[in-house]
Formats: sequence, C-alpha cells, structure tokens
Amino acid sequence: MIDVRDLKKEYIEDGTSTEALRGVTFSIGKGEFVSIMGPSGSGKSTLLHILSFLDRPTGGSYKFQGKGIDEMNDKELAYARNKEMGFVFQSFNLLARLSVYDNVEIPLLYSDTPPAKRKELVESAVKSVGLEEKLHTEAGKLSGGQKQRVAIARALVTEPDVIFADEPTGNLDSQSGLQVMEILDSLHQKGHTVILVTHETQTAEFADRIIRIKDGTVESDQSIDSRRRINGDLK
Amino acid sequence: MLFRDAFKTSTRALAHGKMRSLLTMLGIVIGIASVIIVMSLGASAEYYIVGQVQSFGSDLISINPGVPVAGGAPAQAAGVVIKTLVKQDVNSISKEPSVKLVSANVTGQATIIYGNKSKSVLWSATDPSMFKMINLSFQSGHPFTDADLNSYNKVIILGSQLAKDLFGNVSPLGKYVRLKDFNFLVTGVLDPKGAGIFSFDNYAVIPLTVGQKQILGVDYYQEVDVKSDPAYTTGFVKERIISVLRQNHHITDPAKDDFTVQSMEDALKTLGNITSILTLFLSAIAAISLIVGGIGIMNIMLVSVTERTKEIGLRKAVGATDRDILKQFLIESVLLTFTGGIIGIAIGAAVVGLAYFALTRFFSIAWVFAFPPGAVGLALFVSAGAGIAFGIYPARKAGKKNPIDALRYE
Repeated sequence: MIDVRDLKKEYIEDGTSTEALRGVTFSIGKGEFVSIMGPSGSGKSTLLHILSFLDRPTGGSYKFQGKGIDEMNDKELAYARNKEMGFVFQSFNLLARLSVYDNVEIPLLYSDTPPAKRKELVESAVKSVGLEEKLHTEAGKLSGGQKQRVAIARALVTEPDVIFADEPTGNLDSQSGLQVMEILDSLHQKGHTVILVTHETQTAEFADRIIRIKDGTVESDQSIDSRRRINGDLK
Repeated sequence: MLFRDAFKTSTRALAHGKMRSLLTMLGIVIGIASVIIVMSLGASAEYYIVGQVQSFGSDLISINPGVPVAGGAPAQAAGVVIKTLVKQDVNSISKEPSVKLVSANVTGQATIIYGNKSKSVLWSATDPSMFKMINLSFQSGHPFTDADLNSYNKVIILGSQLAKDLFGNVSPLGKYVRLKDFNFLVTGVLDPKGAGIFSFDNYAVIPLTVGQKQILGVDYYQEVDVKSDPAYTTGFVKERIISVLRQNHHITDPAKDDFTVQSMEDALKTLGNITSILTLFLSAIAAISLIVGGIGIMNIMLVSVTERTKEIGLRKAVGATDRDILKQFLIESVLLTFTGGIIGIAIGAAVVGLAYFALTRFFSIAWVFAFPPGAVGLALFVSAGAGIAFGIYPARKAGKKNPIDALRYE
C-alpha cells in the first residue's frame, strides 16, 4: 500500500539547508498498524506529512496504492486525502464554533456525498467513537479526550483505507489517551491501516510494527510480538 | 464541494462575526444607498421637469436669432445681440398653413415696485396669442388684447408668486405697479404654471409694443414662438419655418443660418441629456464610497484569511482543493457586498420615499416617485461585482495556502 524508497526532504530557509529526511526506505502493507517513533526533530512528523500527502518530498520516491506522488497534481492529492486517508492531529484541529456533527461532516463536504448519505455516515462515525449523545454539542465545549474522539470520527467518516495519527495522545491525560488508542486499535481490527507518529513507547506499542527514525533515517524497523499485545502486557 | 454547502459554510462564518460583518458591509450600504438615491431623484427630477415642460404643449416651436456659439450656448445667452428676427418674419410665418399661432416677444429684467415693496423680476413683452399658445390660465383678471398692443396701453399681468409677494392677500387687479419708469395697471394674475427656468410664477407680462418700442426701443424680437397645426408634424413645421426664414434672410448656405429653430421635442431631448449627465456625474461621485467600501471588504477578508489559516489547513488536509477554499472565501465576500447592496437599496428606497412624501405633502410639489428598476439591477450587479473584485485576491491567497504550513500556523 505504501512504498517509500530513499525518501528525502530538505528545507531551505534564509539560504540555509536543513535535511529533515535523508533517505528513508520502507513499505507498509494494507491493514498494518505501524508506529513511527523517534525523538523530537528526528523527522518523524515530516515523514508522516509526506506519507499523508500534506507535503511533497524533495528526493526519492513514494508510491501510495501503486501511484507515485510525483505523478499526482495538487487536485489528485486532495482527492486522495479525502477518499483514501483520514487524519488525527495532536491538537485535534476541530472548528470550535461548530457542532460535533458539523466537524465530522467536513470531509464529506469535499466528497460531494449527498446530504442524506452524509447524515448516515456522520452519525455512524460519531457512534463508533461513543459520542452520539454529544452530536449537536459545540466542539469547543468538549473535553480533550472527547475532542480527539471527534477528530477520529472525522478521520474515519469517509471510510478511508489508511488513518494517519500525529501524536494523537500528546495533549491528553493517560485515561483519555488510552481510550483514543483503543479506538485506533479497534479501527485496525476492522481492517483499516493505521500509521501513528509518537514519541511515547507505551503508545507506539499498540502497533504491530515500530519504525524508529533518528536524524532523518530509519534506525530500526521491528515487528512486535502479537502475543505481548494479546496478553495485555503493553496496556 | 457543492455550491449549496459552500454557501452554508460561508454564511456560518459570517454569522459567527455578526458585528464585524455588519461594519464591513457599511461602506457598501452607504455607497449603494447613495447611488440609488441619486439615480432615483435624478429620474424623478427628469419626469417632473419633462412634465412641466410638456404642460406648455409639445407642439411648440421656438425661433431665436443667431445660432448657438461654440460650446452649445445660445447666442443671446452668450451676450451676443442679434437683430435678425423682425416683424416681416412673423408675418411670413403666420401665413404658413401648417402654423396655427405665432407669438413674438422681448424680455428683460427690472425692478417692479408696488407701494414700499419691490422685487427684481423678469418681464416678458408679448402679444395676446401667447396666452393661448402656452395654455396660460388666469387666477383673476384677463389677458391684454391686440387693442392694448396697438394703443401702447400700460397694462401688466403678474405671475402668481409675484402677485403674492407684492400684494399679499389683497387683489392686485386695478392697482398700479411701477416698472422701468412706467406705471402699469394690473389687469390679470396667472395661475401657477411651470417649474424652474420654465416657471411663469415670478414673471410680469406686458404688451409687446410697450416692451419692444418704449422700454427697449428696438424693432427686432428676441424670440418668436410658433404653435403648429395638429394636422402637421412638428418636424414638418420646423422645416417650413427654416425655409421661410432662409428666404426672408436671403440665406442659401444652411451653415450661414442666422436663426435657431427648436421644437419642444428638441428641448426635451436636450433637457433629458443634461439630467442624465448630471445624474451620471453624481452617481460617479457616490460610487467612490463603493470603492472605499470594497477596499474595506478586501482588508477584512485578508484579516479573516489570516485568522482562519488553521481552518484552511484543516479543510485542505481533509480534501478541500484550492478551488474549494477560493470558492468559500469568494462567496463570503460576495455575500457581504450583496447583502450590503440589498440593505443599501432598502435605505435608498426609504430616503427616496421620504423625499417624495416631504415634497408632495409639505411643499405641494407635483413630484413623481421614480425608482428605476435599472438602478436596482445596477446596484445589485455592482455590489456583487465589488464582492468578486475585492474578494478575489484574499480568496486566492486562502486557496493557495500550503496545507501543512497552514496547519502549523499559530
């Protein structure tokens, strides 16, 4: 599903060049749950932004569902972000003045889904994160954990193949963080590919596989023993 | 993104900052209201003046000596004394079968005195046919006659306002007023007639012979007016008059005409042009506030784009294209200007209605309520156009934002 070869990203600011990614190579198959870990400034968020078509690489190749990012124009990238990808951000990125319903509906507005179908999809997504009683509450009035659950509902409302989560528990208390991770885990169980960026080991180990990034390169790429997860050692 | 959804999204964004939206559209409201008021009052004034002019009869033709000097002003108005229009011309024109009435006149300005009251007036010396020709009716008294002209009788007819100013509520009939060192017996007072430069209300009318021979001491006329026979078109009569005058004045080259023949239709056309140009000029001044309002909208939209950078980033992250974002912000700016336009039209209509009410109720002016649909259409078009013109730059700026930079914006 995701194939990255010698991926590079270089930022040039005020004539000074900074290499955020210096040749990253890996593949992620459909239905995998992958954590990308690394210390601050390692390039993990840059990598996630490129993988989720929010940014373009400056070198190497990235193929999503067999199609290279270089072959796609901005409109095609926007289409792929809408139809095939869902995003969960550390800072939730909800529109505080809108209701839960309206926030979750946003991606559907750009997919030309008919209103009746939209209603059905939004209600189902909100229900799946357990917030159906908050459907018409203003997003700004929710707790941090609830906001992140709304963000997850928004990410999965278009029924995407892959969900990208950038430090989804970073702004949450441990209880709320756990709830969020359990939801992501359940999405993975239902067949979604989940790609998570985190610097917390406990969070990262919800995944089947951990790719560690350091100084813009892959330091390690390890599968996690599924038995540990089943035994609940990591929770 | 469906237009309906973009519209809903934009309306919500505007509703979120109601006070800001209202203040932003104020410039457009004032601009559109001003344009509407100027255009409506201009149209009303035109209807009113045309109505007043038509009350003299649209089959009138006036002949003036000389031709308009460069720039279009009549020769006499430019201070040129021309003596080419004489009694022989009046006699020749009278013989034309297509002519029903002919009346010559001279005019002047003088102080009219009654007792200790005096007033500067325009006097017109003419013959009795003038009263019939322009449908002048009398409040009291009667017109003078050909006998008065032949006997050089010092009789005078006063305009309604002039009579009121000099005599108040006392009847002027049988009283003497002094004009140009002559004592005139008041024999009639006219009904109110005409408006503005066409008003007879402040006029004093005396016999042609008295004014021409005794006051001015000349043997030419300053103007000859003709009423055409209804069986003929004014165009035809006009051509006949031109032909007669050229013959009398021995003119073979039309470029050397020493007279100007103008029908009431021509005068109306000229008046219409003047009012239109004036309205256009005033509207252009009013439109300046539209530009100021538009710049205000652009400014606020730019602020809004900056404030909502994160929102733009989020929308792009979940699938909005540059075009979707551009559409959303453009709809917002057009909604602002269009709503401002509608409010401006409503305020303009209210002011025009109030003006109509005040003029008819308190000033007893036969004002015409005119609210040209063209002005409304233009106002709506201009307001929506301003939204596009002043909203496109901020909207494009919003649409071009890189999603990841926008999401990172603090």
